Amino acid sequence: MTTNQDVLIKVEGLQKSFGDLHVLKGIDAEIKKGDVMVVVGASGSGKSTFLRCLNRLEEPTGGRITFEGVDITDRSVDINKHRQKMGMVFQQFNLFPHKTVLQNMTLAPIKLLKKKRKEAEQTAMELLERVGLADKANAYPGQLSGGQKQRVAIVRALAMNPDVMLFDEPTSALDPEMVGEVLEVMKKLAKEGMTMVVVTHEMGFAREVGTSVVFVDEGVIVEQSAPEEFFGNPKSPRLKDFLSKVL
Amino acid sequence: MQLFHSIALSAEVNGFQKFFSELTDSFDKTFIYQDRWQFFLDGLLATLRIAFFAALLGILLGFLIAAVRSTHDMRVAGRKSRGFGDVLLKILNALCNIYITVIRGTPAVIQLMIMYFIIFANSRNKELAAVLSFGINSGAYVAEIVRSGIMSIDKGQFEASRSLGFNYSSTMFHIILPQAFKNILPALGNEFIVLIKETSVAAYVGISELTYVGNLIRSRTYEAFFPLIAVALIYLAIVMILTFLLKKLERRLRNSDH
Repeated sequence: MTTNQDVLIKVEGLQKSFGDLHVLKGIDAEIKKGDVMVVVGASGSGKSTFLRCLNRLEEPTGGRITFEGVDITDRSVDINKHRQKMGMVFQQFNLFPHKTVLQNMTLAPIKLLKKKRKEAEQTAMELLERVGLADKANAYPGQLSGGQKQRVAIVRALAMNPDVMLFDEPTSALDPEMVGEVLEVMKKLAKEGMTMVVVTHEMGFAREVGTSVVFVDEGVIVEQSAPEEFFGNPKSPRLKDFLSKVL
Repeated sequence: MQLFHSIALSAEVNGFQKFFSELTDSFDKTFIYQDRWQFFLDGLLATLRIAFFAALLGILLGFLIAAVRSTHDMRVAGRKSRGFGDVLLKILNALCNIYITVIRGTPAVIQLMIMYFIIFANSRNKELAAVLSFGINSGAYVAEIVRSGIMSIDKGQFEASRSLGFNYSSTMFHIILPQAFKNILPALGNEFIVLIKETSVAAYVGISELTYVGNLIRSRTYEAFFPLIAVALIYLAIVMILTFLLKKLERRLRNSDH
C-alpha cells in the first residue's frame, strides 16, 4: 500500500472529445514518483491525447487530473505554474529555431524561474555535457541532426528541473540510426529516478525501461501491467492482437 | 558650297545652344529662383514626417489588431464561449473585422478627405489629419500581414512554449512574434513602400508635402518637366534607401537560418 504522497499524478475518469469525436472515454491511472509509465496503442487510439491532457495542452472535457495534490483541471488553477514542473518532449522536437541551443535551454529558467543568466547557462551546459552536446551550445537548431535536436529538446525540458517528464512519441520522427541515441538518454534519465510518462512505439524500450506498460485502445485503458507480464502474458484479445502486429 | 555648310553648322550650334539655355533657364526657374529648392526640401520633410508617423501608427494598430484576431482564432473560435473574457474577445474581434473591411474597402483619398474635411473641419493641424488617416489606413493592411505571419508559425512552437510554463502573451512575445516578424518582413517592407508613395494623396487636400510642392512650382513656372521629374526622383530615392535598409535587416535576421 502506497501513501498518497507517493502518487505524483492521479487521473480519474478522464474524458476528451473533439466535437463529436469521443477520443478518451474515461481513463483512470496513477503515476507514482519514479515510475516510468509507457503508453502503447495503435495510432488513433487516444494515447497521445491522453498524454497531452496531463499538462492540459488538450483541455479535458471530463474527469479529473491531480498533480502533486492539486486538481489541475480546476479552471481557477494557474496551469502555467504546474506546467513548469512537467517537462514535455514532442515528436517534432519543437525547438525554437530563432534561438541557439543555449538560448533554447535558458529562456524559461531565466524568465519563469527568475534564475540569473550565468546560473541558467551553467545548468544548461552541465545538461548538454550529459547528453554529449556541449559543443553545440551556440549552434542553431537548424544546424543539428534529428537525434541531436531531440536530445536538446529533452535537456531543454530538464533545465526547468521538472518533477515528471512527458514524452510524446519522441523517436517517431527520427531516422532509424538516430533512435538509439535518444533512447539512451531516456534510459539514463529513468535510471536516475525521473518520473516519466512515455508514449511510444518502441516496444524494446517499454520492456526494458518501463515500470508499467499501458495499452490504450479506443479511448480506454484495456490493459496495464508490469512489462514482463504485459509482453509475456497478455490477457485481453485486443492486446494480443496488437502485440502480434508490432512484435 | 562651303558657305552653305557653315550656315547649316551654325544653325545647328544655335539650336543646341538655344535648347541648352532653355534647359538651364527652366532649371533655374524651378530650383534656384527665389530659392525654390527650399520648397522641395520642406515638401520632402513633410512627406517623411507624415510617412514616418503614419507607419508607426500603422504598426501599432496592425500589431494590436493582429493580436486580437489571432487570439480570438486560437482561443474562442470553434468552442463555446466561457466567461467575460471570451465575450470581450468576440466583441473586439468583431470591431477589428469591421475596421479592416471598411478601411480596405474604401479609397485612401476618400478616407483622407473624410478625416480632413469632416473630422478635422475645425482644426488647422493638416499634417496630423494626414498622419491619422494614413496610419489608420496602413494599420488595416499591417494587421493582415502580421496575422498571416502568426498563422505561418508551426503550432508546435506554441505548444513547446506553453509546455515550459509560458503564458499566452509571453509565448507570443518571446517565441511567435520574433519568428513571424522575420517571415513577414518583405511584406511589411512592401506595405511601407506603398505607404510612402500613398502620402502623395495628401496633395489633394492641399497639404504641402512633396507632390503638392512639385505641382505648385509647375503651376507657377509653367514648367512641367523639372518639378515633376524632380519629385519622382526624390520618391524613387526614398524608396531605394528604404529597400536597402530592409534588405540589410533581413540579412541580419537570417542569421539563424542554416
